[in-house]
Amino acid sequence: MSVVLGIETSCDETAAAVVDQDLHVHSSVIESSIDQHRAFGGVVPELAGRAHVATIGPVVRRALLEAGLDPHAPAIDAIAVTSGPGLIGSLLVGLSAAKGYALAWGVPFVGINHLEGHLFAPLLEQSDLEWPLLTLLVSGGHTMIVLQKGPGEHEVLGETIDDAAGEAYDKVARWLGLGYPGGPEIDHLAQSGDPSALRLPVSMTGTDLDFSFSGLKTAVVRATEKHTEVEVGDVAASFQAAVAEQVLRKLRTALERHEVRGIALAGGVAANSALRKGVSDLASEFGVICHLPSMAMCTDNAAMIAAAGLHRFRTSGASDLTLAARPNWQLSEVS
Amino acid sequence: MNILAIETATPVCAIALRSANSEVVRVLDEDRRHTEVLAAGVAMLLEESGLRARDLDRVVVDVGPGLFTGLRVGIATAIGLAEGVGCASVEVTSLELLAHGAHGRGARGRLVSCVDGRRGEIFVQSFELSDAVLALDAPVVRTARDVVIEWATNGVGVTFTGDGVQRYVKDFSAVPNGTILDETVPSLKAALELGAHRAPSSTITPVYLREADAVANFSTRSRQ
Ligand SMILES: [Zn+2]
Repeated sequence: MSVVLGIETSCDETAAAVVDQDLHVHSSVIESSIDQHRAFGGVVPELAGRAHVATIGPVVRRALLEAGLDPHAPAIDAIAVTSGPGLIGSLLVGLSAAKGYALAWGVPFVGINHLEGHLFAPLLEQSDLEWPLLTLLVSGGHTMIVLQKGPGEHEVLGETIDDAAGEAYDKVARWLGLGYPGGPEIDHLAQSGDPSALRLPVSMTGTDLDFSFSGLKTAVVRATEKHTEVEVGDVAASFQAAVAEQVLRKLRTALERHEVRGIALAGGVAANSALRKGVSDLASEFGVICHLPSMAMCTDNAAMIAAAGLHRFRTSGASDLTLAARPNWQLSEVS
Repeated sequence: MNILAIETATPVCAIALRSANSEVVRVLDEDRRHTEVLAAGVAMLLEESGLRARDLDRVVVDVGPGLFTGLRVGIATAIGLAEGVGCASVEVTSLELLAHGAHGRGARGRLVSCVDGRRGEIFVQSFELSDAVLALDAPVVRTARDVVIEWATNGVGVTFTGDGVQRYVKDFSAVPNGTILDETVPSLKAALELGAHRAPSSTITPVYLREADAVANFSTRSRQ
């Protein structure tokens, strides 16, 4: 297996990428429908599905052309496509198109778990990462700490029991009258705010590695109703500090329990400045290699799906053309 | 000319293949599991016909109106196939395929094609069938009740066809000057025939006729 076309359509990004066996990215194209969702304060599944139908053809074409390949007879060996978890109406577009391309070119395809894709993202940017590796995966849909003993060998140590971290940012941003998505807005405001302005509880202070963010959102609502004089920047800073404290506390516990060579940050919320600083500090403290993804690698992309595909082809083989989308596919069910 | 037709606008998933010496129509699924059967069904039909995908000259696809999820499976598969092969793609609509299907079965005069849109609504379009099939209006989404009342009161003789009629068959049976043509699946034979002659389109665009729910609710809310 040498060159793989990756396709990703699990949420609001339509993406395609060409990656080779040395994890060299030849092209990576991403089209987002985020602008269509802003007014609704969250991704509208039907709008996302429609946008994927409109963009999937052009996005794949661009990825092939940018990799110097003939779009009608590309020199690729396989296709890797996200088949779950995600929005069903979005997943089906990428999966169906991937099957069409596979038929057209006579190449095999493999269905990839989106979360496993995120776990492969660091390998595309940093070749000196060593196993075992602890990955903090934080996005609008997921918050988890994963222990990787090797590529594709993962164990979920803890995950959120309610909202994902990104979801909490969106909800608090909406409450504060800020735009969607909430992460960048709050992070920006927090830079000039006072994190000790509001006393917010740090949830899940116990020793297990699960997270919880829904109580924090409620606490922000109560605190701001009571202390109307507190500036929005200070609220943002206080909220961001409380999220980071919970996440970093769990990560520290995981580091104390598991002997690892490195820590990686992955997912959309990996762009968050407080988390980046905290993870980097923890890595120095524990003397392990740290991987902070570039902004482009934080968002959903197809290069990471192709990278996971290269691995899955070797270990699990190709998928059948009858493969169904799995909107609730857990990382722990991947084998 | 080798032509593949893909039909996923209703709970039925069907395909058809026309090549130099044969024409095959195959129903793959009647239970909305389109994603599991479509690509595998196409692969099998090509193999049986001794063709490879790259031998296709045209991919014809029903772009709706119909059930959104199924439509997206059919359209995305068609995009992958046609773009991948580099062949032409041709759009046909579910409502015109029903009309051409009825025409092929001998129906003449006024015909209303109805595709079930769920939630009490159907996608409808009227046609005049003579030697040819002529569309009289554009496809719209309406309640089945409205359509029945219109035709029950205007006195014009009419034939109704499509799964939208079957869903509300009691109401449609009550139209005094109406006849029901029992057909639920848009005609694959018509898709091959129209697909062979119609100009290809550079992009394949679904006919939704309905806004996404959130958008509809949002506009209602902002108006209040
Ligand atoms: Zn993601």
